[in-house]
Amino acid sequence: MKLELGFIKISDIQFSKECKVENGTLYVDPEAVKAFMYEDDDVKAWVKDFSFDVAKPGESVRITPVKDVIEPRVKVEGPGGEFPGVISKVDTVGSGKTNVLRGMAVVTAGKIVGFQEGIIDMSGPGADYTPFSKLNNFVVVAEPVDNYQEHKHEYEHAVRIAGLRAATFIGELGRNVTPDETKEFETYGIKEGIEKFPNLPRVAYVHMLQSQGLLHDTYVYGVDAKRSLTTILNPTETMDGAIISGNCVSACDKNTTYHHQNNPVVADLFEQHGKTLNYVCNIITNENVYLADKQRSSDWTAKLCRLLDLDGAIVSQEGFGNPDTDLIMNTKKIEQVGVKTTIITDEYAGQDGKSQSLADADPLADAVVTGGNANEVIILPAMDKVIGTLDYVDKIAGGHAGSLREDGSIEAELQVITGATNEMGFNCLSAR
Amino acid sequence: MGMIGNPHDFLILTNNPLVMDCLDGRGDYTIEYHPELNHRAILVKARDLIHKGHILYTHPLAGSVKPNETPYKSLIVSLVPHGMESEHEIMIGNAIAVYDKFCKIDWSDNEQALRDFQLIDYTLLCGAIGYDAAAGLSNKNH
Repeated sequence: MKLELGFIKISDIQFSKECKVENGTLYVDPEAVKAFMYEDDDVKAWVKDFSFDVAKPGESVRITPVKDVIEPRVKVEGPGGEFPGVISKVDTVGSGKTNVLRGMAVVTAGKIVGFQEGIIDMSGPGADYTPFSKLNNFVVVAEPVDNYQEHKHEYEHAVRIAGLRAATFIGELGRNVTPDETKEFETYGIKEGIEKFPNLPRVAYVHMLQSQGLLHDTYVYGVDAKRSLTTILNPTETMDGAIISGNCVSACDKNTTYHHQNNPVVADLFEQHGKTLNYVCNIITNENVYLADKQRSSDWTAKLCRLLDLDGAIVSQEGFGNPDTDLIMNTKKIEQVGVKTTIITDEYAGQDGKSQSLADADPLADAVVTGGNANEVIILPAMDKVIGTLDYVDKIAGGHAGSLREDGSIEAELQVITGATNEMGFNCLSAR
Repeated sequence: MGMIGNPHDFLILTNNPLVMDCLDGRGDYTIEYHPELNHRAILVKARDLIHKGHILYTHPLAGSVKPNETPYKSLIVSLVPHGMESEHEIMIGNAIAVYDKFCKIDWSDNEQALRDFQLIDYTLLCGAIGYDAAAGLSNKNH
């Protein structure tokens, strides 16, 4: 399967009555975006209003609480559309041509639950810890209808859909723009790949998806991952919007939709594809709460690795605690069928870094890349402007009572920062 | 006597009132409600049962809401002993160690946050037993 991505560089966002992309600037009318979001019945039913803002790199701006981050894209050639099974029809994506508005994102923010987290600082020390401080962000702040407290499932769904619709609307503006750069990505059928690269090790990416329940979900072609067995995707499907995030907790290590669209493991494996390895496919598997589900899913992961005659697998997880068990079960079983593994995770090693990092372990999981210690304490100075609300910052995960100081600065653990210790390795923290 | 994996064999240990409101009397499982116990004490109760040969059905660290934040905990063990599983013993021991490691955050003055913690705990439990969480919410006992 072959996908061509066309990157349209976006270096500025301006509110404007006319919606277009011109000379690297996105001109967008928030009212038009709003109207497009409200075409969805669930958005109409549960979101009272939206407000809009733009946050640019280097500005004294704090966005919080962040729900999702999404890169606007548009399918310009070939089957499928944006976010298949959710926004567009369920046609298989991952082939043809897709234009990408590179250098910007749609960020959804606003309250959902009373203990919410997720900070993006556009400047200062906090900006170094989130990749999204380097983007021009079109921020959509959602305000729930009055009786939403009793309808959190419905409201989370509505905000998720609203963000995807905003990204779809903006992505569409790139349809007729000539990309600044294009890049092709291709993987092969099993036999074809072996014939093409007979001497290269066969490597797959075991991509674990958060799937524990409300605010902890991931959707694949619209299917809740907890309801799926372990299965296979072409890497280009992931790059083309097949996986979206419904995960709203644990800001530092949740995979936003942007992370799925720009998965660095996929990017790096493609970089080495045909040179040092044969990138076979992605294996997606879930992180359920019921222990029998964990056994079934990890058995299937190992079975598929063996069936595909892999030499190696990269395994990434999402979250901490419950998913650590899936990570170790997957890794152990994959190693036991004779396939070498390397895992990517982050750590909860305590504020001094001295505690055990994961809630589970095994001697077979002996090759580990870390995304950093989520318990590390950081001081975030006050910003001139807050998009969203600071209501929760006093106590958000990693913060503690008194963490919001009188001068507006925040003392908190890295946990609060969106994408700080991403377990796909998207950010720059690690250990050597 | 409950067969392994059968809902008849589910013993739900919980200190979450929402679980009682939404799940009590709605299925074949048994609920032991302990409003007097904190999060850690629920884990310890499960550990003691595992030591007596009950098996663990759900992961004790379910959810990305860390155990230092939420006061609520629901988990499922078997109603009757089936023989001790060493992996389950390690899992529950690790969960208690994780609970003790994190600095506690006291949310007791925030009613809305407490209700949302109840909701998350309840929803994670529903996911595990295949119960429609939203339907349960619209059909509460009280």
